[in-house]
Amino acid sequence: MSADRAAALAGPAGDTVLRVRDLRAWYRASQFGIRREVKAVDGVSLTIRRDEIYGLAGESSCGKSTLIKTIAGVLRPPLEIIDGEIAFSFAPGTAGLHRLPADAARRVRWRHLSYIMQGSMSVLNPLRRVRASLRDFAFHHMGLPAAAFEAAVVAHLARVQLDGSVLRAFPHELSGGMRQRVAIALATICRPDFVIADEPTTALDVVVQKDVLGMLRAIQREMASSVLFVTHDMGVHAHLTDRLGIMYAGRLVEEGRTADIFARPRHPYTRHLIRSLPRIGDTELRQGLDGAPPNLADPPSGCRFHPRCALATARCRVEAPPMEMPAEDHRVACFEADRSGGSA
Amino acid sequence: MSVPLLELDAVGKTYTRGGLFARERIVAARDVRFALADGAREVFTIIGESGSGKTTIAKMILALERPSTGQVRFRGRDLTTLRSRADRHAFIGAVQPIFQNPFEAFNPLKRLERYLLTTCRRFTDARDEAGAMRAVDTALRQVGLSLAEIRGRHPHELSGGQLQRVAIARALISKPALIVADEPVSMVDASLRASIVGLFRRLTAELGLSIVYITHDLATAYAISDRILIMRKGEMAEAGDAKTVLAEPKHPYSRQLRDAVLQPLEPGQRPAFGR
Repeated sequence: MSADRAAALAGPAGDTVLRVRDLRAWYRASQFGIRREVKAVDGVSLTIRRDEIYGLAGESSCGKSTLIKTIAGVLRPPLEIIDGEIAFSFAPGTAGLHRLPADAARRVRWRHLSYIMQGSMSVLNPLRRVRASLRDFAFHHMGLPAAAFEAAVVAHLARVQLDGSVLRAFPHELSGGMRQRVAIALATICRPDFVIADEPTTALDVVVQKDVLGMLRAIQREMASSVLFVTHDMGVHAHLTDRLGIMYAGRLVEEGRTADIFARPRHPYTRHLIRSLPRIGDTELRQGLDGAPPNLADPPSGCRFHPRCALATARCRVEAPPMEMPAEDHRVACFEADRSGGSA
Repeated sequence: MSVPLLELDAVGKTYTRGGLFARERIVAARDVRFALADGAREVFTIIGESGSGKTTIAKMILALERPSTGQVRFRGRDLTTLRSRADRHAFIGAVQPIFQNPFEAFNPLKRLERYLLTTCRRFTDARDEAGAMRAVDTALRQVGLSLAEIRGRHPHELSGGQLQRVAIARALISKPALIVADEPVSMVDASLRASIVGLFRRLTAELGLSIVYITHDLATAYAISDRILIMRKGEMAEAGDAKTVLAEPKHPYSRQLRDAVLQPLEPGQRPAFGR
């Protein structure tokens, strides 16, 4: 694609698949005259490039799920986008998928953007056989005659090491690992440009998880697609993702190449996440983080991490640190990033 | 030799599924045997994939399921002979469970201290409100919380880690001799797991109880376990001293399990699924 053509499209240029800019997505409810706002995503900017696995890490209730719901364009009240841009290379406009006309959104979903969820049992219809579910999702998008479609499905299932016999099965007849592989097959069969994976292996045990992650990487590589991979497990990020964003209390606090982040984490929260992971061979358990996760209805002032941060100064309590770029391809939002430098 | 605290003697469990014509038998556990000595203050870990029979074993220890073959004995008594109300009450007080998802274990509409106070009235001799409050506070302090912190709060107001601590405190109120913790940290953020699991280690030392810790997380198992049992497809694959088994696993499945754990890279190590 030429440079002018990319500029003319007004979407993200060149090798970018998704560009999110200053996104704010809040839950706003009003009950008995009391207004309540939960600022689950509060000023997030990020870009996801073609042909990469971008990891998103952070503890439960840090806004990870809200961010991916917003990106996928599945907003239900009370969640709404307050402001910010969401632009895809494969869809017009910068307002996000939920603002597209219904037929345009339908053309984009699954063909260009698909989704792998944590509980595959809740994705697959329990009353329909796997074949019927695959047909529901993909037949229309693929535009193939029935026989060719069936052959394409079987060939695709082979990529996740399932044979055609699973097509006859109901979801409950498959093991958790097989179901999650069916979910991956479902999400990738249309060769989408962009796949969102929300904790896809958290419910699996380690041996199965390793297989499933390997298959996901192989498919991503073969199709040169982009994956947004969300999990709180830093061990998975270390082995799978190319770049990594760390989220805390609705904001991105650090982002960079995964190897750089593990080698030299700059934000104190990132260092904590890496350091607190138990490892085989530890006889001493690592310390967890003190204090409770922040309440997003009433987040702390200044830097949101300051109540739990050992390096916090008076400035951190009043002023929110901006994203700085201390090294190539590495962003961090911390006034004390230099002090916290060094290996984890 | 004194009577063991808990003894599983060739325990097996078979579930049958289906109707009269298409009956299918599923072996969830076969010939499982291990014993925990009385007063050993031990963390005994059962590890294995989903469907390996871990939870079935936990249910049999808690007398929620009857074994199909063999016997589960607590302080020498076969659990199937616990018939009277008094016997069952004493058993429940002595063997307490902690489950996987604290958000499912607590009623979302009830304030947390109501739970703890009810448990207190049933299992301790504190009859008045003030005495019960003191007992609840003591239990909460043992897990690093206090009554003042949780009073008047509902389960959704706490993080998963805090709520799991409350669940542990609830289990401690009846002063049990044995706690059965079934996947207690798999719903908890990886960064908080260590502190919860570390609590188990401390409780065994301070309160003199033993813990059956059921998990698929090898890293925390290594850190806190005295002995470990690796289960596969309902059978015991390998058992022994935790550090020895995990450092030099002998069974091929144990090795596979250990090699599948994803941890931050050591210097010079390549990522398993890098490009």
